[in-house]
Amino acid sequence: MVQLLIGQALNGVIVGTLYGIIALGVTLTFGITGIVNFALGEFMMIGAYLTWYLVDVAGLPFAVALLPAVVGAAGCGFVADQLLFRFTRNNLINGLLVSIGLISVVESGALLLWSATPKDMSYVLTGSVQLATISLPEMKLVVFALLAAVILLTYAALSRTWMGRAAYAFAQNAEAAMLMGVKTARLQSGVVVYSTALAGFGGALYASLYSLEPAMGGMYILKGVEAAILGGIGSPLGSLVGGIILGVTEAIGSIYLPSAFRDAYGLVFIVGILLYRPSGLFGSDR
Amino acid sequence: MKALRWLPWAALAVLPLLLHSNFILTIFIFSFILGMTAVSFNLVFGFTGQLSMFHAAAFGLGAYITYLAVSLWHVSFWIALLPSTAFTIAISLVVGAICFKFKLKAFYFAVVTLAFSELARLVVLNWNSVTNGTLGLMVLDKPVLWLPGAGSVKIDGTTAWYYFSLAGLLLTVAVCAIVLRSWIGRCFAAIRLNEDLAQTLGIDIFRYKLLSFMIANVLAALAGSFYAFYIGYIEPGYLSIAQSLDIIAMVLVGGRSSIIGPIVGAFVLTGLPHVIELSAEVRVILYGLILILTILLMPNGIVGTLMGRRRAA
Repeated sequence: MVQLLIGQALNGVIVGTLYGIIALGVTLTFGITGIVNFALGEFMMIGAYLTWYLVDVAGLPFAVALLPAVVGAAGCGFVADQLLFRFTRNNLINGLLVSIGLISVVESGALLLWSATPKDMSYVLTGSVQLATISLPEMKLVVFALLAAVILLTYAALSRTWMGRAAYAFAQNAEAAMLMGVKTARLQSGVVVYSTALAGFGGALYASLYSLEPAMGGMYILKGVEAAILGGIGSPLGSLVGGIILGVTEAIGSIYLPSAFRDAYGLVFIVGILLYRPSGLFGSDR
Repeated sequence: MKALRWLPWAALAVLPLLLHSNFILTIFIFSFILGMTAVSFNLVFGFTGQLSMFHAAAFGLGAYITYLAVSLWHVSFWIALLPSTAFTIAISLVVGAICFKFKLKAFYFAVVTLAFSELARLVVLNWNSVTNGTLGLMVLDKPVLWLPGAGSVKIDGTTAWYYFSLAGLLLTVAVCAIVLRSWIGRCFAAIRLNEDLAQTLGIDIFRYKLLSFMIANVLAALAGSFYAFYIGYIEPGYLSIAQSLDIIAMVLVGGRSSIIGPIVGAFVLTGLPHVIELSAEVRVILYGLILILTILLMPNGIVGTLMGRRRAA
């Protein structure tokens, strides 16, 4: 029983970091452009399918395929930003609707291209690590390490570099930041593109663990938004912790309650946190 | 001028006499019923300024309860609307009271109502003994209407449903118009324009937001019952986020500043993808493109843009 609990908790942590990377994109986009990009899940799907295509069809090694997959997703993100999101800055509802429209277009496009049949990429790493009585697949550890590293690096970059501090300044007071020489239009586009690159990276790693289908993005964006709110909108570390809490609760909850209710935990968290601590676990009280 | 307002309705009323295409009339029926949902949603969204994501839940729960009342208690469609309405009022009061008591606004109100809506969907999805889960339920009954001269008529077939759903839409529009023209509507507008000021002026914003949320949900539940009995099938997808988003899309495409705007949106988004013969995937792409282009090019919606033009001219 203990073994099952620990095993499930570790699985939860890994799924949770995937939620976390989407949550980071959600949180950054919301802080800088004032919209929630619900289409982030679609960029994750694009990243995942690109990786699958490069590895299984073109025959590249996984490590080499990662970069073009992320660049591809970010490229799509750049096009989407210039054509669509540029016009919905600070307009929550229009941004929502435009990203919904984009979901319809991208998801159906993926259905036409790759059909609804799930795609399974060939295994990258097949070994597993034995920790006492628990065996952990190596690939899951690698995925966890990479995702956590990217989230922590983003956090460090936001607090240490000039660009990062400019972003914080912009989120606090756009006008003052502009007067201090922050190139606001470029910053906003940059953040939108960066968040799609993060989603594409998450998708590329997702492809190495789970099977792909065109509708996969929809679930992950919901969990990502939940994790972002749980951790506190605007907090990069919060999105990682929020994602892990959500992932672990779901994994452990499915042991005791019917797994059909796995999607409900996040919702209960959200209601609780928004009613009693609206700034989230890590958000600053405003 | 006032008579002109009735012209479109009159045109809709005589349409089936001139046009015998079941295909086109079916598109109209769908647009009417979804129009009912969109018009009622716009009461809370466009007129009170609250982005509720609970609308699909009200629509779906209304459909389920009306059907369950019909099948379990063997009552008529009309009697079954009573428990469905009562339940919708009760759940709206609970959800609305929680949200408004904690003064949730904009994005946060949307997220919490969305969470409640998803919880409702999960309950419906997993309560297999009552709702039959993902497989859904077949609705074989049809509403029976007593008409002078014709006696009891079963609403069956395209033309009958055309008039039935048109009447439903007219009822929804009438309720919204009456509410919005009264002092209640002015309180809604005050809350939408400046909530703090409205409170300072002595408007009980908690009560009026709750009222708006409740009326909208009750009308949505009615629309859901119509929809279920027209299609003859209910499934948990009625309560899905996608359904909520479709409704928001109709309102924004049509225009949220008028009562009839959402009906136009319902027609455009239900009708256009079906007018041209296309595969399902291409149809969804077209739907997405219509949505994106209207939002970007006509931020006030179709009706808003047309009215703006006329005023400028």
